Amino acid sequence: MDVVVEEVSQIWPGVRGTSVVALDRVSHRFQSGRITCLLGPSGCGKSTLIQIIAGLERATSGAVRIEDPQHRDIQHPLGADSVMVWQTLNLFPWRSVIDNVAFGLEMRGVAKAARYERARALIASVGLRGFERHLPGQLSGGMRQRVALARALIMERPILLMDEPFAALDAQTKIVMQEELLRIFDRTRKTILFVTHAIEEAILLGDEVVVMTARPGRIKDVIPVDLPRPRSHEMVAAKEFGALFDRTFHLIREEVTKTMAQQDALEAR
Amino acid sequence: MTSGRAARIWQFALPPLTIVAVVVAWEALVRLRGIAPIYLPAPSSVFVYLSRMIADGSMPYHLGITLLRIFVGFGLAAVFGIALGVLMGMSRTIARVADVWIAALYPLPKISLIPLLIIWVGTGEAYKIVISAVSAFFPIVISTYSGIRQTDRGLIKAAKDLGANARQIQLKVVIPGAIPSIFAGLHLGMGIAIILVVAAEMIGGSSQGGMGWLLISSGQVMETEKVFASLIVLAVVGAVVIKLQQWIDRKVAPWVSYHDG
Repeated sequence: MDVVVEEVSQIWPGVRGTSVVALDRVSHRFQSGRITCLLGPSGCGKSTLIQIIAGLERATSGAVRIEDPQHRDIQHPLGADSVMVWQTLNLFPWRSVIDNVAFGLEMRGVAKAARYERARALIASVGLRGFERHLPGQLSGGMRQRVALARALIMERPILLMDEPFAALDAQTKIVMQEELLRIFDRTRKTILFVTHAIEEAILLGDEVVVMTARPGRIKDVIPVDLPRPRSHEMVAAKEFGALFDRTFHLIREEVTKTMAQQDALEAR
Repeated sequence: MTSGRAARIWQFALPPLTIVAVVVAWEALVRLRGIAPIYLPAPSSVFVYLSRMIADGSMPYHLGITLLRIFVGFGLAAVFGIALGVLMGMSRTIARVADVWIAALYPLPKISLIPLLIIWVGTGEAYKIVISAVSAFFPIVISTYSGIRQTDRGLIKAAKDLGANARQIQLKVVIPGAIPSIFAGLHLGMGIAIILVVAAEMIGGSSQGGMGWLLISSGQVMETEKVFASLIVLAVVGAVVIKLQQWIDRKVAPWVSYHDG
């Protein structure tokens, strides 16, 4: 499934007539079966964009279409083919691991035995066998992240929308989860939109890195990443990786500097 | 230099020891100064009265009546309070209408309704149950409503993304998420119901019994030992109710103590 974003703008009304332009005429085709990383400074509207794609926010203007490359004429409602993985995880704290993972199936009316069977398989596939009855609060950050991933994967949607899912993890856990995601991608070939503000993460995971500008969020540049798959963390040391990192870093540095200047200006007011 | 273990035992033993010390001092004061029992009876004679009242069944009788009134009133308040709070959370119109009434009636001291209630329903059971139900109702509605309103937006979005419809979001996300607030409201409501039932039993001038009636009728004939015995029972019952609620909280919403999700 391709995600086609056309001229999408998002303007938040502010106080006393001022308004904030979060996204300014963003257009891009996120291609099927690839990982596209959205990279940009904080507050550049990356999260807003993927929530618009998920159908959870309405764009002020512009359009988002979900397209099957083989059947371009068939209309797909937003949200029906995608599932989110959130930075804040948004696990239901009163539900056990298995009931969190099975949530989507429960909403669909799948019988308990059937949804538990499916959920157990997914819990095992993310390495959490034996923790089915635990509450999210009893798990470590990395384990909770796995629950969130399993809860999204059980939906079997072709598009995975990931909003800085590993940002809150410690460095080691982050590496393990990135490799886990790469394995899932190699196995399922889902279309993945991955929001991050970490350059290394964007290059390691992505087939393409979309660099966004500071507010207002626009697409500054699109960097193709032609590192071979399957990928792993050893590649970070490769020369090609270094070259991509440098190129991306220069683009992003300008934007981070701009963001800092914007923040200084805000504070000075 | 005390060892760590001795220090721990001391930490543990100190609070109950202070109670023992006060009781001993009280006993000594009454005996040494020869204070008349109608002013301040010695703990030992309070204890004698208390055991006599338990043995002859009068204390269990009055306590039972009071507890029954508390639980019936509290139960009504809980059912209607939670129901209205949830409805307010689901419908903006209901919330706006109910808000006006709550704003007007909540600050009114519920005890001031007693004369009116006696005129309307007499001094029987109905009056004591209504007064406790009405007064426990408000904190329960208010806490339920605020719990429903403060649902984490992220959880609602996540549920929506996972295919939940509006009704499922209410039942599976909003209401379970409000349980800690609802319980906080129930705690407050229970505390108020206890106060109001005992107060109503004192003021009603009725002969139906209950701890409030026992207190006021013992006080009027200067049976100060019985007054103290009743106070001790009320204090113990209050402590037991609080512990019981905490235990139920942990059973029903164990996730609250883990804090993060």
